[in-house]
Amino acid sequence: MFEARELMVFYENMLALNNVSIQCEKGKIIGVFGSNSAGKSTLMYTLSGIILDIKKKEEMRGGERISLYGRIFFNGKDVTTIKPHERAKMGVILCPERRRIFPESSVMENLKIGAYLSKRRETKENIEYVLNLFPRLKDHLKRQGGFLSGGEQQMLAIGRALMANPQVLLLDEPLLGLSPAYQDIVIEGTSKIRDAKGISIIITEQYARPVIPIIDYGYILENGSSMLSGTKEELMDNPDVKSAYFGV
Amino acid sequence: MNREMMRKERIDRGIKVRTERIYAISSYREILYLLGPRVLLIVGVMVLPLALEFAPYWKRVVNITCVYSLLALSFDFLANYVGLVCLGGAFFVGVGGYLSAIFNVYLGLPVFLSIPLATIGGAIFCTALLLPCLPLRGVYFAIVTLMYPLLLTRVIEALNIMGGTNGITGLASLPNEYVEQYSIIIMMLVFMFGMRRFVNQDIGLVLRGVKDNDQSVRASGINITYMKGLAVFIASFIGCFGGAYIAHLYMWAGLSLFALDFSIIPIASVVIGGGGTLVGPVIGSFILVPLSEVLRAFGTFRIVIYCAALTGFIVFKSEGLMVYMQRKYHQFERWVKV
Repeated sequence: MFEARELMVFYENMLALNNVSIQCEKGKIIGVFGSNSAGKSTLMYTLSGIILDIKKKEEMRGGERISLYGRIFFNGKDVTTIKPHERAKMGVILCPERRRIFPESSVMENLKIGAYLSKRRETKENIEYVLNLFPRLKDHLKRQGGFLSGGEQQMLAIGRALMANPQVLLLDEPLLGLSPAYQDIVIEGTSKIRDAKGISIIITEQYARPVIPIIDYGYILENGSSMLSGTKEELMDNPDVKSAYFGV
Repeated sequence: MNREMMRKERIDRGIKVRTERIYAISSYREILYLLGPRVLLIVGVMVLPLALEFAPYWKRVVNITCVYSLLALSFDFLANYVGLVCLGGAFFVGVGGYLSAIFNVYLGLPVFLSIPLATIGGAIFCTALLLPCLPLRGVYFAIVTLMYPLLLTRVIEALNIMGGTNGITGLASLPNEYVEQYSIIIMMLVFMFGMRRFVNQDIGLVLRGVKDNDQSVRASGINITYMKGLAVFIASFIGCFGGAYIAHLYMWAGLSLFALDFSIIPIASVVIGGGGTLVGPVIGSFILVPLSEVLRAFGTFRIVIYCAALTGFIVFKSEGLMVYMQRKYHQFERWVKV
């Protein structure tokens, strides 16, 4: 349903993604694991189309030149050159790394901004859904986003992404800087989202341990190329993965 | 498929890599590569007055252009190295010009004292007035710098001090034509290369840090208000020098020194020349100011041409001339297989 074929991304002469192919069926959770500089964020930017925007800006500024190769398909349609906001309309929603919530808007406003694309009634339902999913947000509806704790901000970011009725939800490092307790809440929420709405989720993480139980299929990125892929059992049984990501 | 898998690659020229470290320079070719553009610029600017020997009007234009390029330099420094958007070119010019007139006419100091004193005094004055809005980030600084020239104009007008609307007349001119021309050209070159040095010193790095993330700089134990104050001092120093010079060039200091032109044209030059390069703004003003003189023949229609040229630049070459030229000079491109 959502598929990337032979993605290659160059930042000037540096190869950030090398021949990465990823496939995501409807209602599956796909995990992408890798250390820093493995190309996770670049992959997310490419899948969501944000990279086209970065590319444009760099061109205007005379900075680094970004070249893209490969194809991205969504529901059988080639979306490689489609702009990020159009992709969002089609249902590919990115929940960016480091949350990027709107710090000066309240929690409610943040959610409403996320709901720009959906209809009024849906918005109401979605807000209710998000608040049930992450009850902690209920207590802070009127607070400014910038004054929430890191974990609450992450919940808000995921909630905001959900408001746009995604078909594919891209979560870029949702566990960044969260305590184990909050990690559990976020991970639990993620699998609930999939179960309730049948949304496909692609999730990138450095720490495989908390994420791997909920994924259906996983990819290991290393230095921009996909080294290994497999179902959760295959990944967990692989000795390299064990030593690198589970410290066994 | 085959065509698709080719990629245009940008690589530093070998000679650039070889000359990056000073000890590696071993041939005239490499020295030429390093010095060529700099010498070309210096010689070009120096020869300009001689080349225009029989066009006295254009010699004037060169002088004014140099003042504008000083202002562009100070704008570029503040905007791209300190993160302060300064709309106060007119403020600097006005303060420098009026102070110089006061020193020269009221106190009777000679030119070679009044200009430096006005430069330093003006820089202190401007910095002191701008100091209150330095700890803040955001638009405050831009607005305040835009307001001060208006405020000072009205104060002078209303209180009828310093010549009122007539301005201060009877400033001494510079000794002779050549001193007049070369003093500004040499000072412009000195400021330009000096600033290029300066922004790569430790203090320049700190200033760039202030631009990127002021909280981290604070966390490193640096007082950013002091740093910004210093940067504003330097920028207004450059601007006030231009103002003092212009007052002596016209032998008159009047309200038109606070004209908005001095704030706007430098910004346009920075856009055309390429922000953050410090040389770009100078080149930009050497294009824009003469262009606007040439277009004078078209009357009011010149604004249309001028604006169209500017907009075209922003749309098609928004990186700026200097960034583009630097890239072409240091790097070449070739097609490679992916």
